[in-house]
Amino acid sequence: MSEAAIIFEKVRAPMLGGDLYLEMELRIAAGACVACVGPSRAGKSLMVELAAGLVAPQAGRVRVLGQDWSEVSDDDPRSARLRVGVVLQQPGLLSNMTLFNNVLLPLRYHRGAMPDHHREQTVMGQLERLGLASLRDRFPAELNQGEARRGAIARALILEPDVLLLDDPVAGLDADMVLGLKAYIDERRAQRSLTVLAALRASSPFVDAADRLIVLCEGHVEADGTRDVVRDMVPPALRRYVD
Amino acid sequence: MINWVGRKIIAGYAYLAALGTLFAQAVFDLIVPPKQGRGETLRVLVKQILFTGVDALPVTTIIALLLGIIIVTQAGTQLPRLGAGGLVGSIIVVTVIRELGPLVTAFIVVGRSGSAIATELGNMSVTREVAALRLMGIPISRFVIMPRMVGMVLSMLCLTLYFDVVAVFGGYLVADAQLTIPLDAFAESVIRALSTTDVFMTAIKGLGFGSAVAAVCCYHGLAVRSSYTEVPQHTTRAMINSFVLCLLIDVVVAVPLYL
Repeated sequence: MSEAAIIFEKVRAPMLGGDLYLEMELRIAAGACVACVGPSRAGKSLMVELAAGLVAPQAGRVRVLGQDWSEVSDDDPRSARLRVGVVLQQPGLLSNMTLFNNVLLPLRYHRGAMPDHHREQTVMGQLERLGLASLRDRFPAELNQGEARRGAIARALILEPDVLLLDDPVAGLDADMVLGLKAYIDERRAQRSLTVLAALRASSPFVDAADRLIVLCEGHVEADGTRDVVRDMVPPALRRYVD
Repeated sequence: MINWVGRKIIAGYAYLAALGTLFAQAVFDLIVPPKQGRGETLRVLVKQILFTGVDALPVTTIIALLLGIIIVTQAGTQLPRLGAGGLVGSIIVVTVIRELGPLVTAFIVVGRSGSAIATELGNMSVTREVAALRLMGIPISRFVIMPRMVGMVLSMLCLTLYFDVVAVFGGYLVADAQLTIPLDAFAESVIRALSTTDVFMTAIKGLGFGSAVAAVCCYHGLAVRSSYTEVPQHTTRAMINSFVLCLLIDVVVAVPLYL
């Protein structure tokens, strides 16, 4: 069995408002594509934030690519941070930079030795593949929700991460864009090992493509396994998230 | 009542400690060269200097000129009656170079750039741009705080010295027109009244005010959590606290020296 890329060890973390807790034990194998579905306030975003090291658990440990987030320095260039691409529910594109510069920023910061033209080619290739090339000089305020989200995904993938964490990647995207985005991520996974953990609010092509499905409700894992297994396990009220 | 006072005092110390930590981290980030991202950090620093320093020159010029004119006009109405018309230079040195220059410059910078930094960082926190930077492996202290602090400190220092020069020139315009004091006599009077300590203390105040304003505004900007309504609240608090802290630093620096 290959080493797990993401491990939640007896994790307990308070959800927004503090009245509910996310409690989770999880191992995601390297190269797997896992979709996490469930209703609002199920703890999906918190799970992504914990996996991204943005939030520390109240109890337990979160290990990603063999590193415990509590032991990782923000300033360490060898940190797992650079091998993990994250897109949160809010895309978080820097509002004072164009889309092109937003996607270029991680390369400029972390790959200073890379020639300028090579960096720009890499960014343009990424933008073209996600249908954003014509928007390269627009600022985030001039983009719609779907464009901003795809821009954030382009930025998250620019350093060629080993793990991709997505919180509601299909929000604001039309059906064609969803299929295009899924095809792009599939392509990246075919090229090199990429572990994907995506939190989704509704069934989508990402759920179809997932190797494994996790159903969360009120901070607890209701079902975990392949889609067929999960379909038989979930209570009827949650079945629409799987079908 | 005693509990309330005690809590406020502890909160005040905790606040100053947080500002001190932010400042110390920025100094550390400045001294210890980053392993990567130097070009990007420099770009942010240059932008901050352009915004806080260069873009503030027109408004600083106008305010300094007007202040110099007002002070010498008022001095000109009183000093000749006492037979002390020659003290105009002393008056401008004491009021502008020692006190009003650094303070008014700090107030201009707080109103213009401090509020802008607090608002910008507050909005960045709400829209999760700060979180996105962290997730990209870009340290907030190096990429966001340090360049803003260094930019503000350098700009404040230069603007303070510039303010002093322009205010003295404004004073000369009135001295020449109203009091018929020629340039050489005015300049001699100013130079006679001006000591090295005055210039040194002005520079020290510029550095102190710049550090305080930058730390306070960065702190309040990053203290915004998840709501846009917090942004103006923290911006207002940042501005008020900056004013208070500047006056406090002024008292701490000026009282032991001139008392």
